[in-house]
Amino acid sequence: MDDKFDCIVIGGGVAGLAASMMLAKANMKFLLIERGEFAGAKNVSGGVLWGNDLAKLVPNYWEEEDGGWERFINHRRLTFMDEQSTFSLDFKSSHFNEKPYTGVVVLRSKFDNWLSGKVQEAIDASDYAMDSFIATNIKVDEVLMENGKAVGIKTGEDEFHADSVIIAEGVNNLLTRQVGLQDNYVPADHMLTGIKEIIRFDQEVLEQKFQLNGLSGMSNEFVGWATDGVEGGGFLYTNRDTISLGLVVGIKDMREKKRSPHDLLNHFKTHPTIADIIKDGEIVEYSAHVVSSGDARAMPKELYKDGILIAGEAANLLMNAGKAIQGMDYAMRSGILAAETIIEAKEKGDFSSATLKNYRAKLDQSYVMKDINNFQDAVHLLHTETMQKKVPNLVCDFGRQFFTIKNEPTPKSEKMLLGAIKRHASLWELLKLGFKARKSL
Amino acid sequence: MKLLKLTERLGLVNYRNQSKSEIKPHIIVDTDICNSGCPHKCTTWVCPANCYTMDEENKVHFQVEDCIECGTCMYACDQGAVDWNYPDPEIGRGVNWNFG
Ligand SMILES: Cc1cc2nc3c(=O)[nH]c(=O)nc-3n(C[C@H](O)[C@H](O)[C@H](O)COP(=O)(O)OP(=O)(O)OC[C@H]3O[C@@H](n4cnc5c(N)ncnc54)[C@H](O)[C@@H]3O)c2cc1C
Ligand code: SF4
Ligand code: SF4
Repeated sequence: MDDKFDCIVIGGGVAGLAASMMLAKANMKFLLIERGEFAGAKNVSGGVLWGNDLAKLVPNYWEEEDGGWERFINHRRLTFMDEQSTFSLDFKSSHFNEKPYTGVVVLRSKFDNWLSGKVQEAIDASDYAMDSFIATNIKVDEVLMENGKAVGIKTGEDEFHADSVIIAEGVNNLLTRQVGLQDNYVPADHMLTGIKEIIRFDQEVLEQKFQLNGLSGMSNEFVGWATDGVEGGGFLYTNRDTISLGLVVGIKDMREKKRSPHDLLNHFKTHPTIADIIKDGEIVEYSAHVVSSGDARAMPKELYKDGILIAGEAANLLMNAGKAIQGMDYAMRSGILAAETIIEAKEKGDFSSATLKNYRAKLDQSYVMKDINNFQDAVHLLHTETMQKKVPNLVCDFGRQFFTIKNEPTPKSEKMLLGAIKRHASLWELLKLGFKARKSL
Repeated sequence: MKLLKLTERLGLVNYRNQSKSEIKPHIIVDTDICNSGCPHKCTTWVCPANCYTMDEENKVHFQVEDCIECGTCMYACDQGAVDWNYPDPEIGRGVNWNFG
């Protein structure tokens, strides 16, 4: 059959675009299908794209004047928050100014659209310039199966056929469920709602506010009062002339504590530290999207099947152990590995799981699954009440005393620390936590 | 900074064809389940677009117009009342993020 593709990629998010780029560069005949009007139209992240895989897809991407990304990160901050105070670990280094950057902030509506333009360029330069396509405004309704093997997809009344399908549909993975790799109902336990506002400033004001230089940027994560006792955390990232300010909050916990994500976001914004930052800003967008927690218990049963690979957050590949959310870099790497596996399958002429299981092996050997497996305890620890409430309160209490200078004798720091511990937790609790943290980090 | 109410926030969302009321909803909620057996009715507070509301008689109602396709209700409802899907792009309905 002439019009059969080597591969159909479902979803023009980070994972699907990364896979498509590799397929185009390897002269494969493929179809990328995205339900949005353009790639990125439906996507929300914080978001920092960590690591360096982008340079594999678009070499020297930083040389482009308006390269789809907002700012590179050379300043990182992790903030503990109580009702009135913030206590931060703050790290800034010109080391991070070197290219390739180790993290760039992106706005998905712009970034995905830009990356999809790059994929189109790669298609145009390939042997299948006239036969590979990026099709937008199309929703895949069904993965077509024949004798247990994927043979294509269905959208409305139309069918498209292929030797293989990469499902890169994101966390709300309806097709992964349809092909039986994930249960039909995924409970709220390990799922969070990410919610954010884009707040605009005059660019110079923003650069002064955050001491940015050229295209440098800052990332800031928050633990504690930010989420008012609901499991999760806050984030603030600098874009060109806006900031992304938001929360990720546990859905099950909101259900049990009767809390709304949008009210929690307003709560976060009333914190004196945050209020000072966003003063004079103008809110230009409000958005929300589900995000997984990085808990391996929420992962699909398997990530391949005859003719099928699952990439990105459709496979629940994500890590959030407090210091960063890593979903886009995992999506990118898994998309790349999925495409490599399809390219090998084409060479072998075998798209069955006998070949496609190599995807799982590649992923297991990559930093993605190594980190997911090694940091499960850290993921669990972050979601305990001790880490969500007691530690931030204790740290801020200590900070307040440590930095207060009165006209009276100052107690030794150790005494201050012990006092703070006693007020918010017990020494035993903290020893246990310290022990767990040592093992898990 | 002035905090925005949810309606003001939703006013900043770029929806396509939001007013096309004849369109088949992409999410179908069996409100009989909501109003007969649901012990918490949590979607009325976890939905970030307030698509689920409760009237004076504690009855749950659902409207899809403001939906921002986030997925929260698909996980939050553990009662099997939510039949969740993406809007059909052919009709051109749903969100188009300006920033994302
Ligand atoms: C508020 C928030 C903050 C975040 N912050 C960060 C961060 O700072 N750093 C980070 O790395 N990650 C972050 N993440 C996580 C990150 O956004 C995701 O992990 C990442 O987007 C996953 O990429 P993906 O390509 O797998 O899926 P997505 O980006 O969700 O892409 C899936 C694509 O598939 C399309 N699609 C779905 N179904 C169909 C269908 N049936 N037919 C056609 N098209 C379909 C969708 O329209 C979409 O374009 C954050 C997430 C949220 C919500
Ligand atoms: S949780 Fe489910 S059953 Fe309960 S009110 Fe919401 S949609 Fe209805
Ligand atoms: S998908 Fe999100 S916005 Fe839409 S109804 Fe469900 S919770 Fe509300």
